[in-house]
Amino acid sequence: MNMTSIENRAEKIRNAHKLLKRFEYKPQEVQRGYANKTLYINISDNTIEAKEVAEEIKEKFVGGKGFGLWYLWNAVKSTTKWDDPENEIVISPGPIGGITQYPGAGKSLVVSLSPITGSVMDSNVGGHFGPLMKFSGWDALEIQGKAQRDIIIFIDGNEGIVEIYEAPLESVNSHILAEELTEIFAKSEEDKRNVSIVSAGEAAEHTLFGVLSFSFYDKRKKVQRLKQAGRGGIGTVFRNKKIKAIVVRYKGVTGNSNNAADVNKIKELGLKLHKEIRNFDKEQCRMREIGTAHLVEIMNDYDLLPVNNFKFGSHKDAHKIDSKVLVKKVVQGSPDGCWHGCSMSCAKAAKDYELKSGPYKGHKVVVDGPEYETVAGVGSNCGIFDPDYIMECNFYCDTYGIDTISFGTTMAFLMECYEKNIINKDITGGIELNFGNADAAMEVLHQMAKGEGFGKIAGMGVRRLKKLFIEEYGADPKFVNDIGMEVKGLEYSQYVSKESLAQQGGYALANKGPQHDEAWLIFMDMVNNQIPTFEDKAEALHYFPVFRTWFGLNGLCKLPWNDIEPEDNHTTDEPAKVPEHVDNYVQLFNSVTGKSIDKEAMFLQSERVYNFQRVFNLKMGYGTRKDDIPPYRSMGPVTEEEYLSREDRYDKQLKNLLGLEPEGMSTEEKIEALREYKYTQYEKLVDAVYKRRGWTEDGVPSVELMKKLGMDFPEVIKVIEEHQKGGFR
Amino acid sequence: MKFLQKDETLCIQCHACEDICAQTYFKSSDREKASIKIYDYTERGELINVCSQCGECIDICPELAIYRAKNGVVMIDKRKCVGCLMCAGFCPTFSMRIHSEFLEPFKCIACGLCSKQCPTKAIEVKSIG
Amino acid sequence: MIRVNHREMDFHGEMTLKSLIEDLKYSFPNLIVSINGKLITKDKYEETLIRDGDDIRIIHPIAGG
Repeated sequence: MNMTSIENRAEKIRNAHKLLKRFEYKPQEVQRGYANKTLYINISDNTIEAKEVAEEIKEKFVGGKGFGLWYLWNAVKSTTKWDDPENEIVISPGPIGGITQYPGAGKSLVVSLSPITGSVMDSNVGGHFGPLMKFSGWDALEIQGKAQRDIIIFIDGNEGIVEIYEAPLESVNSHILAEELTEIFAKSEEDKRNVSIVSAGEAAEHTLFGVLSFSFYDKRKKVQRLKQAGRGGIGTVFRNKKIKAIVVRYKGVTGNSNNAADVNKIKELGLKLHKEIRNFDKEQCRMREIGTAHLVEIMNDYDLLPVNNFKFGSHKDAHKIDSKVLVKKVVQGSPDGCWHGCSMSCAKAAKDYELKSGPYKGHKVVVDGPEYETVAGVGSNCGIFDPDYIMECNFYCDTYGIDTISFGTTMAFLMECYEKNIINKDITGGIELNFGNADAAMEVLHQMAKGEGFGKIAGMGVRRLKKLFIEEYGADPKFVNDIGMEVKGLEYSQYVSKESLAQQGGYALANKGPQHDEAWLIFMDMVNNQIPTFEDKAEALHYFPVFRTWFGLNGLCKLPWNDIEPEDNHTTDEPAKVPEHVDNYVQLFNSVTGKSIDKEAMFLQSERVYNFQRVFNLKMGYGTRKDDIPPYRSMGPVTEEEYLSREDRYDKQLKNLLGLEPEGMSTEEKIEALREYKYTQYEKLVDAVYKRRGWTEDGVPSVELMKKLGMDFPEVIKVIEEHQKGGFR
Repeated sequence: MKFLQKDETLCIQCHACEDICAQTYFKSSDREKASIKIYDYTERGELINVCSQCGECIDICPELAIYRAKNGVVMIDKRKCVGCLMCAGFCPTFSMRIHSEFLEPFKCIACGLCSKQCPTKAIEVKSIG
Repeated sequence: MIRVNHREMDFHGEMTLKSLIEDLKYSFPNLIVSINGKLITKDKYEETLIRDGDDIRIIHPIAGG
């Protein structure tokens, strides 16, 4: 893709734009982290409005995911479907978002009703869009309605313009679209860094797990890099609304664009973290070297790397896709932060990567990644240990706009079904979906983009595939439900939780579905044995999901919280909480907003939003105990093959935990005994967690709790009381 | 490449270098605004701290705001700088300066004014290459 | 009998901290190890002998995803 062709195409594309609506406003400076206005756009009738942000909303919802949940709650009814025009996509950074000094300050949360779960979804993403949108004058962007034909939305934060254009000629796929729009909207090469684009891709039109890509301009590789709002299919909502892209242009980011209450304190904290990362990242997580992919070999060593649809936790070929291999695929010594000032710089990219398949075969492209989740998801979990496949799959998922985690877990499920003859070549159209068949998986991916063949079916995701296989192909419901790794409709992310009861809970209890953003307790539980009792686990499952919510309220990335630690962290009382960093964040919040929170108030901010989200789930017909139960594959051996692969371990468990004698038992009997025990343990865990959280036995936040939190909005109480009366579906 | 060479054995801690630097570039008598810093030896095991023009910050800067001028001196383009302070955090000699009155950091540009003030020739502008 | 992270393990003579960590396959490079409450640095793993009755903590400060 050479430069002249982009320039020529850009002219044609721009000329084909048809302005549908133009809205002018007077951009005002952000004050203490808030623009105090949100932008509402309805693309059915092209309404564009500015809304004030009430103090009460800032107090109770803070920003980011909080704002997203609040605006969506008010936009949808309990009967609203993801593809109703009523559904909104809400994008919001947060008050700390956009500071330039402290690592990880560029995140936004995207909230919408999910195609894959049917309930409220929140998805976290880096890149420049969120902060640039805030500095353009908007704490959140709400998009409701549906366009008749493909549109783009353009926000110019310097001129004070919001425009909706019909946009017929732009590419749909992100890696090209982002370049085309940068060419059109940036005023010069220098200006490209001031433009950020939100986009999806072709596969988001044909699957339920479409992603949104948020760009940041890479000044060294001279290309828009793409970070993803990955989970839950919001990219699918985006394309369903016929939005091709949202573009923001804002020039003038400074070290105090937030007009913070105490910018010198922010500078001091930022500098402290830069030095910490400079001194210790190399010996800790090597984020600057290879990012999250440093986890591949660690997970493999501890039997936690998902292999063959979470059957196993390690594989002899795992070294073929570990960080030592991947580091050679990406540009050496070129760590990138996805927002200014992130010295953790976990983003990596391959440059001039030649594609071997698909519509861009032979093209030399920039591939952002791969993250651990992608390596494990599309790689080991599918029995594939080819690093080049992983890079290419990563690239196409990004540009086609689908979630690598859901793609990986769905493909893994399909491969197991294929090997068990639940589906066959007739159904797959000749594609041999064995574990390890990278070509087959790549073919399905390309089909997803075209909306053809088996790809169209695969794009429904695990929950619907299970239903299809049971109803149409006579699959054994018990087996298929055991191995279909989803909860609430969302596919599992890539950690084997079989030996960690706490992580089983961390995954299955999570508000959005089994994503590890709420809790990552595997080592604390399984290896360090720091939370041995139900009460200990419940305490961890109360604290961490709520605490971790906080980052998404404020425009922050969680990685600099605990993927770098102060040298003396292990001498503190609770090293897993990284107390000095929590303290940093309290100070950051106060330094930006001028408020005076402490750690307790910080926790309360999150607790409010966390419980509100739980009630939102309830509003949409989910969010009770029955939706918190995991598939057995996440808890123990489903098949004989799995049992025998760890026979010693499981036999010991039967002996020590159940007091049974494995000698006289068949493998099938042993599997059943273990299964019954594990589910009993799980139910006990759930009891303990609900109690600790202040929820009823059915997993519903009590009215008292919502009152105590100050989140007793009349509609919230109504939803809870309706449920108590048994009046909800 | 131009840089300020130092000989700590000659330094008498008169701070004349700091004074001229802060006065010239910021019209201020605040020594914290000087690009060169004179320490008490016991503080940090060094007396004179000043940029060696090594250029490590050039690769660290996410904005490509730091560059090497024709005379080899490492310069900050304030128009591109967003005040992230990564350069200050990663400078191998901790010679990138920060001050509470400025969002952007600042540094020695080997102009030599300080060496003209130094009574003992402890600091001198040198050229190599 | 020794205890590792509160779990009982068989003890045999000639156990060093290094050999114990290897037996457990704890390959994570930055472990926080203490024996009977005393922190042991990595350079001392090989020379530290395990004794019967020792209470050993091997903490992995892994943040995960």
